[in-house]
Amino acid sequence: MSGAEHMVRFEQVAKRYPGGIQALGEVSFGLARGEMVFLTGHSGAGKSTLLKLIALLERPSRGRVLFDGRNVGRISRRQIPWLRRQIGIVFQDHSLLSDRRVFDNVALPLVIAGVAYPEIRKRVRAALDKVGLLEKERMYPPMLSGGQQQRVGIARAIVAKPPLLLADEPTGNLDPELSAELMQFFVSLNELGTTVLIASHDLDLIRRLQRRVLVLKDGALADDVPARQVAAP
Amino acid sequence: MSRRAGSQSGGVPWPGGVRAWARRHAYSLLSSLGALVRHPLATLMTVVVLAITLSLPTGLYMTLDNAERISDGWERLDTVSVFLDAEIEERGAVQLASLLSTWPGIVAVDPISPQAGMAELTGRLQLDDLAGRIEANPLPWVLEVTPAGGQDVETLSGRLRGAEGVDQVVVDLQWLERLSAILALLERLAVLLGVLFAVAVAFVIGNTIRMDIHNRREEIRVLALVGATDGFVRRPFLYSGFWYGLGGGLAAWLVVELSLFVLSGPVGRLSGTYASDFTLASPPWLVVATLVLGSGILGVLGAWLAVGRHLRAIHPS
Ligand SMILES: Nc1ncnc2c1ncn2[C@@H]1O[C@H](COP(=O)(O)OP(=O)(O)OP(=O)(O)O)[C@@H](O)[C@H]1O
Ligand SMILES: [Mg+2]
Repeated sequence: MSGAEHMVRFEQVAKRYPGGIQALGEVSFGLARGEMVFLTGHSGAGKSTLLKLIALLERPSRGRVLFDGRNVGRISRRQIPWLRRQIGIVFQDHSLLSDRRVFDNVALPLVIAGVAYPEIRKRVRAALDKVGLLEKERMYPPMLSGGQQQRVGIARAIVAKPPLLLADEPTGNLDPELSAELMQFFVSLNELGTTVLIASHDLDLIRRLQRRVLVLKDGALADDVPARQVAAP
Repeated sequence: MSRRAGSQSGGVPWPGGVRAWARRHAYSLLSSLGALVRHPLATLMTVVVLAITLSLPTGLYMTLDNAERISDGWERLDTVSVFLDAEIEERGAVQLASLLSTWPGIVAVDPISPQAGMAELTGRLQLDDLAGRIEANPLPWVLEVTPAGGQDVETLSGRLRGAEGVDQVVVDLQWLERLSAILALLERLAVLLGVLFAVAVAFVIGNTIRMDIHNRREEIRVLALVGATDGFVRRPFLYSGFWYGLGGGLAAWLVVELSLFVLSGPVGRLSGTYASDFTLASPPWLVVATLVLGSGILGVLGAWLAVGRHLRAIHPS
């Protein structure tokens, strides 16, 4: 394990998309190892962009993004896969393969890592069980509801047990009960040592969980509320 | 829960060792076959195009190969003309003919009289009145000697030159030399066509793979998102290219064998009229192996070109 104190660090990071849209400007914060943090803000505030910069799905225009002490902006093309394997990502648009069964979708990170099939089977079923979709393993994603597809995405993000979990609106399509249940699942992952960063609009749920909250407004960090100051509803 | 952050120092080419590497390869192999089987009609059409493309140079090669075997046989039909001394009369010529026909390396000796020779000459030159204008026939007796197969014509003609009563020995190999020059020319043409068609095969497969990539770009995007290396993304397509090439090569072999089978009846009847037992030869194993494996390798090459271009486009710069 490297000695970097922060799992993720942003130093004056700006992101301007081609076409001139300034999605982020001068954002600085740190995410401690083992921390669980929520990221909130209006639609278009730059939440998805911020998450994408960490996993190098986009490159910063200015500033430095550090992952585990390493400057992500300096990572060469050949090392991008290494970075992505350290990070489980739940995408806002699910990003599932519609012509592969649920089981095969969840298994992808393990297949890429070259894990043996019996082990893949065990771990995929455990992950599907945790998101409550074990009986759907033989279905194809288009046969599932939006919320169920979201949960398949979550199972895929956690199946390889990455040290960092990034989730972009993981409960966007779920009813309140299921949302609370999945958030609780993220909390238990965090308690087992995973660093978690969740972008979410669900302010009620965020308040109830009493974790640190980063608030983005028009691409700038408007607020950084420590866990103890998050008011319980 | 296991933690791997920082335990690997970046871009490990084979994370997880050789067994993990083998498992990833097995996955790529199966997934490439799966992709081909899922679209049987498209796969079949590509393979047929490749088969036709590859069967043309292979067919030409086999035609030349068989033509060479026929012309090897023709060398036996070649005759040596032995011109005798002018003073030798019919009796001497016939005696020498029966003597020579006992020599090893000689199949037949056919004496041609000066009259017959003159008749042939005038017929050939269309000078009907030539014989009438020449008072004395200047032609000597000629013996047409047919050498045995495998007999070296040069040594035989040397020995004939040394025989009693022989004036000149003429070996007419010119038409054979011309034939083999034509065959060499066609052979060069076959090589040229082979190279052109090989390039065509690589491009046909490259283009097919390009369409595969286009159809599976979402899959490629997702694979990259969850941490697949370029190699992992590329491999199923390289395997697909290999399968296309292999399938095309095998099908081309089938086409050539079928054509030979279809032609074997007419060729047999034709060679029968020459009292020959010539039959068409199938391509030798070396040619088949070169065809099949070569087109497989061309497929990998074409796929590599197609995937390389696309991979450069999927990561942010
Ligand atoms: N690929 C892109 N190219 C150009 N502009 C983009 C791109 N992605 C996002 N943007 C722009 O960047 C800004 C921030 O977008 P982002 O997706 O980060 O917002 P968000 O906070 O995730 O919003 P939401 O809550 O609706 O998901 C928006 O103005 C958006 O139009
Ligand atoms: Mg978003």
